[in-house]
Amino acid sequence: MISGYLSQETWLHRVPAGSKLIGLGVTTMLVFPVQDWRILVAGLVAVLALYASAGWPAVRRMGFLKAFLPMLAIVFGLHVFTGDWVAGANTILRLVMMILLADLVSMTTTMQQMMNALMPVLRLLRPIGINPEKVALAVSLVIRFVPVLGANWQARSEAWRARTGRKPSWRLIGPFLVETLRMADQVAEALDARGFARSTQKG
Amino acid sequence: MPSGQPGYQVPMVKVVDSCAARPGGHVVFEGVALSRGGRPVFDGLSLTLEERRIGLIGNNGSGKSTLLRLIAGLVQPDAGQVRVGGADVARERPNTGFLFQNPDHQILFPTVGEEVAFGLTARGIDQKTADARSEALLASNGCAGWEKRAVHELSEGQKQLVCLIAVLSPDPDLLLLDEPFSSLDLPTRYDLSHRLDALDQTIIMASHDLELLADFDRVLWLEAGRVRGDGPADSVIGAYRAHVRAGLDKARSA
Amino acid sequence: MGLRDIGLILFFAAIIALLGLVPPLHHPMLGGVPVTAQGMGVTLAGILIGSRKGAVAAIVFLVAVAFGFPLLAGGRGGLSVFTGPTAGFLFAFPLAAFITGVLFQSLSWRMGGFLAAFLAAFVGGYVVLNLIGIPVMAWLTDKTVRQAVEIAAGLLPGGLIKALGTAIIVYLVAGLEPVGRR
Repeated sequence: MISGYLSQETWLHRVPAGSKLIGLGVTTMLVFPVQDWRILVAGLVAVLALYASAGWPAVRRMGFLKAFLPMLAIVFGLHVFTGDWVAGANTILRLVMMILLADLVSMTTTMQQMMNALMPVLRLLRPIGINPEKVALAVSLVIRFVPVLGANWQARSEAWRARTGRKPSWRLIGPFLVETLRMADQVAEALDARGFARSTQKG
Repeated sequence: MPSGQPGYQVPMVKVVDSCAARPGGHVVFEGVALSRGGRPVFDGLSLTLEERRIGLIGNNGSGKSTLLRLIAGLVQPDAGQVRVGGADVARERPNTGFLFQNPDHQILFPTVGEEVAFGLTARGIDQKTADARSEALLASNGCAGWEKRAVHELSEGQKQLVCLIAVLSPDPDLLLLDEPFSSLDLPTRYDLSHRLDALDQTIIMASHDLELLADFDRVLWLEAGRVRGDGPADSVIGAYRAHVRAGLDKARSA
Repeated sequence: MGLRDIGLILFFAAIIALLGLVPPLHHPMLGGVPVTAQGMGVTLAGILIGSRKGAVAAIVFLVAVAFGFPLLAGGRGGLSVFTGPTAGFLFAFPLAAFITGVLFQSLSWRMGGFLAAFLAAFVGGYVVLNLIGIPVMAWLTDKTVRQAVEIAAGLLPGGLIKALGTAIIVYLVAGLEPVGRR
């Protein structure tokens, strides 16, 4: 699985992840109440300038916006439909600006940096009994096991097709989930065998 | 062990009796009893394992995997004691490496570097040292520059090799292998078993591939949780083969 | 959290991610809210591994998304989805899993597991998600209350179908392996 990380180094890579995240959060707060299209256009231009300063590879990444296109089109369409296309344009400007800015942070921050920066946020969960270190471990494990589960499902639907000649059925879901629960045990055993949490874990 | 001094790089020659097994890899079973799912697997098993290369053979369900899991401390006995390197496994987890049959059940991380370093960080070594050591270890095993490679893009054989390197990273005294080669092709099997030959760790390996165990120091044949045969590889393997053939002949003629 | 809990959490986070491969459905009636299968993963987690672990699985999934992995329906990922119009739905995932799990636990004493799973999944997957998601969306995209209510109404058939789907899957899994044993 490919993350959105941009491997070519830009100046934004060197900005600490915490500052980038705080900057993103503050900008979000500031931009949402704005109703003046001129300020919004200026903001969007500023974001585009940031992209330009990061270089061509970053600019090329703006193509990812097309995943948001259907959603944006409907939002804009509804505003036009109700006759208020200025408000529609404002909304779109604001959303595009924030989406672009957020993605710029994503593509210039490694997973490790992001993890370190998010740790203080995850620590807030400690009072409700959630261990931030274990959440971090689980995230790495998820990235590892999504392709494994995908391949697993693929194999099952191939076997189904080979034996029935039909498209995969929802009836495959039950056994697939049961096997997934078993895999959870195997992963627990593998963690145990590798010495994880040996001091806290008994038996 | 410092990274500048990779102890896994013993010369690629067969070192048999000249190199004694590490004492940390000695295993003792004392009256071990264990039931799983209501059925007894072992009932008062006593064993002393001190050889460098020990093979486990027997039919499916004979208790090979469970025996390995008991040694690793993944399963605790209902009665009796398992000691590794003199210490009770229930009290102090031994420094063992466990290689599972399916690498996809063992590899826990998305990249090779993280996978190899995890065995070290799990033991409280800081990330930087762990990264440096795993880099050196990968390089000394002919996998230089693999740190960033995505695990799911590796071939089956490469995955099992990464598993082996990851398991070796904390320098265990004892390696436990549960059918490690069953999904691999012949060249990869030979390559991996050659690498295993060169290790100075004690190895206990369960396998259906009897050829692989032919030059082991000792082979145990398990049947229904009991030791049916125990001794030099050729005689125990021969007895097991003969027993299986005789059983089939009897079934056919009946 | 034991090691096995980590295993369960990670696999349900992965299942929520895999459900993102089901292509999202867009309809003008729904004001830009995509209909996805991922909400089903959230309710399934709440029921099958319990309220707390289910909520943690949803959090783990969201953190992975924040890291830039394209795990959301339609291949989206990265921080941008948390500043986009559907951010409210995402932030509601952990709460939805938690409430689904709690409801299923308390309802399954009183009625059959199938009905309990259906009701719990409906409340968690439709009511909770939309109660948070739609107002956030309406606020971000300058919609009126009336429009928000219309969107909620438009999402109702899908919500019912997904709750039914969750109940069927729980029923299937329970037939193969006792639910709640874990």
